[in-house]
Amino acid sequence: MSSPAVSPVPDHAPATGGLLEVTDLVKHFPITRGLLRRTVGHVRAVDGVSFRIAPGETVGLVGESGSGKSTVARLVLRLLEPTSGSIRFDGREIAGLSARDLVPLRRRMSIVFQDPVSSFDPRMTVCSVITEPLEAQGISSGRAARRRAGELLELVGLSAGDLDRYPHQFSGGQAQRIGIARALATDPRLLVCDEAVSALDVSVQAQVLNLLRSLQGELGLSYLFIAHDLNVVRYVSDRVCVMYLGRIVEQGPADQLLADPRHPYTQSLAAAIAADPRSPVRRRRGVVRGETPSPSEPPPGCHFHPRCPHAFDPCASVVPASVAAGPGRTASCHLVGEARGA
Amino acid sequence: MLEYVVRRGLYGVLVVALVTVFVFLTLRLIPGDVVRLQLADAPGVGPEQIARRAAQLGLDQPLLTQLWVFVTDALRGDFGTSFQSGEPVTAIIAERLPTTLQLGVMALVVSVVLGVPLGLLSAVRQNSWLDQGLRAVSVAGLSIPNFWLGLLLVTYLALWFSWSPPLVYRTPAEDLGSNLVHMALPAFALGVAGMAAIARMLRSSLLEVMRSPFIRTVRAKGAPEHTVLVTHAVRNSLVPVFSLIGLQVGHILGGTVILESIFAIPGMGMLIFESVQLRDYPVVLGCVVVYGAVFILVNLVVDVLYGVIDPRIRYA
Amino acid sequence: MSEVTASVPLPARRPAGGRRAMRLLRRQPLGVVAGVVVVLLVVAAALAPVIAPFDPTTQHREDFLQIPGGPFLMGTDDLGRDIFSRVLYGARTSLLVAVCTLAVGGVLGVAIGVVSGYFAGGWLDTLLQRVMDTLMAIPGIVLLLFVAALLGPSIRNTVIALSLLVVPSFNRVARGEMLRIREELYVESARAAGCGTWRILRRHGLPNLLAPILVVTSLMFAIVIIAESALSFLGIGTPPPTPSWGAMLSDGSRYMEIAPWMVVFPGGALTVAVLAFNLLGDALRDVFDPKQSR
Repeated sequence: MSSPAVSPVPDHAPATGGLLEVTDLVKHFPITRGLLRRTVGHVRAVDGVSFRIAPGETVGLVGESGSGKSTVARLVLRLLEPTSGSIRFDGREIAGLSARDLVPLRRRMSIVFQDPVSSFDPRMTVCSVITEPLEAQGISSGRAARRRAGELLELVGLSAGDLDRYPHQFSGGQAQRIGIARALATDPRLLVCDEAVSALDVSVQAQVLNLLRSLQGELGLSYLFIAHDLNVVRYVSDRVCVMYLGRIVEQGPADQLLADPRHPYTQSLAAAIAADPRSPVRRRRGVVRGETPSPSEPPPGCHFHPRCPHAFDPCASVVPASVAAGPGRTASCHLVGEARGA
Repeated sequence: MLEYVVRRGLYGVLVVALVTVFVFLTLRLIPGDVVRLQLADAPGVGPEQIARRAAQLGLDQPLLTQLWVFVTDALRGDFGTSFQSGEPVTAIIAERLPTTLQLGVMALVVSVVLGVPLGLLSAVRQNSWLDQGLRAVSVAGLSIPNFWLGLLLVTYLALWFSWSPPLVYRTPAEDLGSNLVHMALPAFALGVAGMAAIARMLRSSLLEVMRSPFIRTVRAKGAPEHTVLVTHAVRNSLVPVFSLIGLQVGHILGGTVILESIFAIPGMGMLIFESVQLRDYPVVLGCVVVYGAVFILVNLVVDVLYGVIDPRIRYA
Repeated sequence: MSEVTASVPLPARRPAGGRRAMRLLRRQPLGVVAGVVVVLLVVAAALAPVIAPFDPTTQHREDFLQIPGGPFLMGTDDLGRDIFSRVLYGARTSLLVAVCTLAVGGVLGVAIGVVSGYFAGGWLDTLLQRVMDTLMAIPGIVLLLFVAALLGPSIRNTVIALSLLVVPSFNRVARGEMLRIREELYVESARAAGCGTWRILRRHGLPNLLAPILVVTSLMFAIVIIAESALSFLGIGTPPPTPSWGAMLSDGSRYMEIAPWMVVFPGGALTVAVLAFNLLGDALRDVFDPKQSR
């Protein structure tokens, strides 16, 4: 923003064929206090996020807990009302749509949650869980819906004979397959996976990830794949966005971004998994010092500067703009700008 | 804290106001014209007399005007005059209220004085025959209707001990002894349910506290069991019991109506019972508002004190 | 789509829900006893015309104030009516009033609570809860006395008055539960699946409320039975000559020193009924306690 050499990425880069285009998405949660519930501040859960997903593409969204990635998922699905910004799905603006107009949209995008069992009503059988979207949207019901549920179960590697069991009678991996079957019931085009494999054992994780990949090939799905685990994200994603305290600090093709991270935060994440890629304790991110600051009072300037090993003068006061950092890549760091400017 | 008290106080005022409006409108909307009812017995009553009487009582005004007049008067402490006796409602209630409050306080004392030791005994001797017996007494106490208990007490005290309560009610000022004797039975009958509720709550809360990690810490420090129980456990276990008291006040206030009529005690309960039957609207209205106000005030005080006893409660 | 064709569904495997409930009930012997008493009460009330040795309103003039025993199992009252028969028919009145009250007040209270809880913080919630606070601020009997006396004594009016008494309790429980359910992930999941508010309340709200509502219903049975008796005792509930425990107590209170059985039996029946519903409610609460059931 300060140096003329820094060229901001155009907001609408080649605007052809994006299935989902999110631009400057903002979500602030008010903090209220006192007798009259007056607003005393905001949690800036999502603070100006832009990304796009092409048909058949998988975009990974990675970040620590509290970085706002789950909020992004709920905003994209319109489970939360965005404070500002634009969400275009299949070329259509959906940010301001009324609940009624959202109904046809629900058919084309769905979500897989982290904890499948608590995302299912404990009183529902597998069959009801899977057919609920079909019945709610008036697509089918009764025997037809049940037949469809059976097909979906087979599709995700379970048996149609499991339809009358209860989700809590299944293992974690099986339950997540049921969650995927439910999400696929209405033939969606975009699947948002919110930490969809994070609660699973590593070996089961791999099975579910492989299932997601093969379904993508078979059904031509796009994924917004949200996880805190860079390793998992790397495995499934074509492109990766790295989030830190409500902002995307770096994005680009998965292999390049991890091989040559530009933002110091991404570098620390990459270093942590490079140190021991198969270790189950990958969450320990050696390079980064200190705790994540609270999103209600994020540090000024670059949110990452208090923990950044390379922080220098402008970092504490100037918000770094998103600048091109190679083909198809952007990063929001003064260092990246400096490097290009020099 | 102060803000909390103010907010709760304001809310209490609002609810009392809503109670007033609710009762006022219900009274007016219910079929049964007061004037006709009042004058129906008198022979040779013509329409003019009815109209005159209605105008006298302000019943010919539009409903909202009547409500407005009532509310503004009530704010000045004037609830109108009784249709029956012509006396100011405020004066009638002022005469009756202390009696009911005395009965209520005595019942509450019975609840606490009997309930707390029973609960403690039950918890300390957990699962003994004493505990089982006391728990049975508690459940029975919660289920026995207070008016039946009152009747049984009178009946069997009379049958077995040839003792019956004084026939005429005396105020404490006239004859304190006679007054207390008269009030003792209804207060006991009213207090038994509270006693049972307190004993049950105290038992389970004390057992829970005794299992909590902090008691284990106190024990680990080598404090004698007696100290553990008295200075740490009991104090903490009384906190939830305290919150029960607000609830009990509602039951006790309601119970006074029926027990006052059994034991011929001229309190608010008897007043409202008689006034409802005579359709003495101003008195009924005044009584319900006062009942509501007392109930809300007691609950406000209980909630505020609750925070003083348990510092973990934050008034957010 | 994959080439899955007619996949034959296996026979439905029902979870052993009934058996689990039985096992839990076996841990609640008192609750089971209470349940049996409740069933007996219902049977006695339903079969009163068959069981009762006499018509409850027939006055055996020469046999007034008979002590219990002989043909009159529980004695006779001041008008020579058989107390045992009247106690049986009284159960009928009590249960009838209670069932009607809980149907009216329970449905109303749950509906208010569910809607209020789902829209917690909104204007509708605020409005409804102010009304509930108003009803709760008036002590039960005072409210009953007020409404019942104004409407006049009849079973229908007793039901109306008692319904007003129970609505706030159902509302409180339903609203509290709904506040919890509203935050459940499965509700968000249902919204993502395209379910509207009404569908969420019906399919996810109500079914998950049922257990706590059942507990309150049982406890409210106890309260309503007492309250109905209290009203009848005061002479503004069930009108004579319909036998009701409260009215019998009221009649008996005039003769209690010479004919205590007039007070003892109806009061005893009343207490047993209340006790049974209280114990059943407690047992149900333990059974449904989420900490125990899962």
